[in-house]
Amino acid sequence: MTDAPTGPPRAIALSLRGLTKRFGATLAVDRVDLDIPTHSFYGVVGPNGAGKTTTLSMATGLLQPDAGHALIHGVDMWRDPAAAKAMVGVLPDGLHSFDRLTGGELISYAGLMRGLPRETVRERRDDLLAALDLDAAGSTLVTDYSAGMTKKIGLACALVHAPRVLVLDEPFEAVDPVSAGAIRRILQEFVASGGTVVMSSHVMALVERLCDHVAVVGHGRILAAGTLDEVRGGEDLEARFVGLVGDIEDQRDLTWLRQS
Amino acid sequence: MVATVLRLKYATVRHQLAREWWRALLLIGGAVWSLSLVPAVFWASHRLLDETPDVRADILVVVAAICIGGWITVPLLVTGLEDTLDPGRFATFGVSARQIAPGLIVAGFLTVPALFFAGVFVVLAARLEGGRGRGRCRGARRGGADAHGDGSRRTGRGGVGGACGQRSPRPWRPAARDRTGRGGAGLGGVARAARRHRLRAPVRGPSGHGVARAHADRRGHGGGRGRGVRAVVVGDVAAGAHGWHCRRAGAGVARLDRACARAPGTSGRRQAPGADAVLAGAGDGSGRVPLLSWWTADAPTRAIRSRLLVSWGTDARYLVAASGVVALPVIFFAIAMPILGLDTRWAFVAPVMLAASIGWGRHNDVAYDHTALWLDLVSGRLGRQIMVGRAQATLVWAAPACVLAACGILAWSGRWAAAPGLLGATLGTLGATLGVASVASVLLPYRAPAPGENPFGAEVGSLGASLGSQLLSSAATLLVLPFVTVPLVLALTVHTGWGWVALVTGLGLGATLLWGGTRLAGALYDARSGRLLARVA
Repeated sequence: MTDAPTGPPRAIALSLRGLTKRFGATLAVDRVDLDIPTHSFYGVVGPNGAGKTTTLSMATGLLQPDAGHALIHGVDMWRDPAAAKAMVGVLPDGLHSFDRLTGGELISYAGLMRGLPRETVRERRDDLLAALDLDAAGSTLVTDYSAGMTKKIGLACALVHAPRVLVLDEPFEAVDPVSAGAIRRILQEFVASGGTVVMSSHVMALVERLCDHVAVVGHGRILAAGTLDEVRGGEDLEARFVGLVGDIEDQRDLTWLRQS
Repeated sequence: MVATVLRLKYATVRHQLAREWWRALLLIGGAVWSLSLVPAVFWASHRLLDETPDVRADILVVVAAICIGGWITVPLLVTGLEDTLDPGRFATFGVSARQIAPGLIVAGFLTVPALFFAGVFVVLAARLEGGRGRGRCRGARRGGADAHGDGSRRTGRGGVGGACGQRSPRPWRPAARDRTGRGGAGLGGVARAARRHRLRAPVRGPSGHGVARAHADRRGHGGGRGRGVRAVVVGDVAAGAHGWHCRRAGAGVARLDRACARAPGTSGRRQAPGADAVLAGAGDGSGRVPLLSWWTADAPTRAIRSRLLVSWGTDARYLVAASGVVALPVIFFAIAMPILGLDTRWAFVAPVMLAASIGWGRHNDVAYDHTALWLDLVSGRLGRQIMVGRAQATLVWAAPACVLAACGILAWSGRWAAAPGLLGATLGTLGATLGVASVASVLLPYRAPAPGENPFGAEVGSLGASLGSQLLSSAATLLVLPFVTVPLVLALTVHTGWGWVALVTGLGLGATLLWGGTRLAGALYDARSGRLLARVA
């Protein structure tokens, strides 16, 4: 786990104010307020359907909120998207990339779309492919990548323009332990150098190990947020999480499933 | 299994109607439409009795084939039109295709239009059976001894089944095989041509940004593999292995290119390390010529163009779209014109039709990227660059294709004096329709098949949206077309001097509408960026 911050309050990297989103009759995100300090590794946890992905999508310009604001270092994502998006790197979960390109081409594409010069793109592309152990697969079509490789190439695309804030939705899902170690190192160095990482995950142990701050989301609202120790309140994070979102009420015993 | 599939179908329909009440309107609309055709059925049966038995049988066979193909076979082959008939949804249930196929066919038949047309054929068959003698007499009166003899022979097997059975004798099989083979070879030829084109041209824009894609290994290995896949698909269809195999043939087209694109083994390596079409195609933006600044635009535009050119060269959905645009002009030129005995000047419509088909076909262009649209969205406020890059990628192959078609028609007709007018109208149509389509693709997107999926498929729930979008973009296209085509008509009917006017107005209006359309589409893209992904993903 990264050490909890001490000293004076830090500036806010990502600020969500009254963020609301409704899909038909379903209120997916309900007036979410959240401040994520700079130079922090922030975990967002919550059960399936809690609104994590919807919240992060609205914060990164992928989904327009019905109400509220998302500020990246003080710049409103929906009023000045060009300036706000330039500061953010995004890795969504469940969305593919342009899989008819090779891994190298995809990183180049992401860099050029961010307005980087060609030479810079070429350098960073090679660095990222090597750092993420993808250099051997740099000329393979993304469609032929495994799930873990796809995740890594997505992370490379999010990093290529050296953003100030990284928003990652389930970045370690389907990633092998060796690659996960490489990703952890890259992200920890990024935070150590002054960047901010916002990461959603279902894996409590991973959040406890990596993050210094955490927010628990449930039913479209923030149930608890703060430093890891504040949220845990002396308990195990998983126990605290279950306590906040509630356990399954009907824990029926499937006796018919027993083999003997 | 048949009962299970039917239960599933009707349970799904029930839930759909409960959740989306407007679907009931479609059902009612279908029933009303069927009833409205009843008088036409009786009129048709009456008219059929006036025909010779031979003609009557031919008409019945053609109509039966169209209806069976349209209402029973197509929903089974085109996934998404009817999601309960999508075999892919049964994949995880552990049942084989052979097991569920009967259920799907029965379920496909038990729909309002299919049942209606079954009734139609029962009525027509009964009327034909009853009027056999009458037809024979009229046949004899009209056609003399030959017609009478032929009619007597054929009407002896009245009814739909008899007519269909009669129409698939052995001598037809080689012909069908040949046609299918030609069709397959034609598609393959287009794919090969596109692939050859990609080897050289697509990644080398007029701005001179050459891209040395090392595809020699793909031509050597993947190409052979692609031919193998294609041979299997074409072979199956030609051998009459329709039904389940036909369903897979569509997906086979989607997989065809991927098979071609893969290098030896299973590694999927396809080019030498270091080659980067996107980076090379992006160029450095230096040495711009002011007049060509639209083309030699900024890096994001060039990156989009390079990426889309890869899609036009490798993605089955784009290849199918590119090959499908020739259908309408070819039907008009090769079938409608001779049958209707039209003047050679009518052939000038064909290149304009081609241009309009290409442009109009891009009305859902943005949605083709729905799986990866997020990467463009998070990159900034790039709507204009995205839409310009997309249009440029289409122009790379569409403009030469239109010029080629126009020159072909000029050579065929020998009316070279009309060249300026035809070229102006054709290119103007291309620019205008592309401009309209750019706006439509942002304003009215609907879900499209993902890369690698059946390119002929439709996504569940997209049918209404696609119809609406196609109607509106067609209406908009029809509105702008007269501006670029009327001078050509005047050149052909009043004075050839109008041809030069057509050239100027065509190129000017085409370029203006394309420029304006992509600008407007870009602004709409930025304004709707927070809704686009939710709409198409």
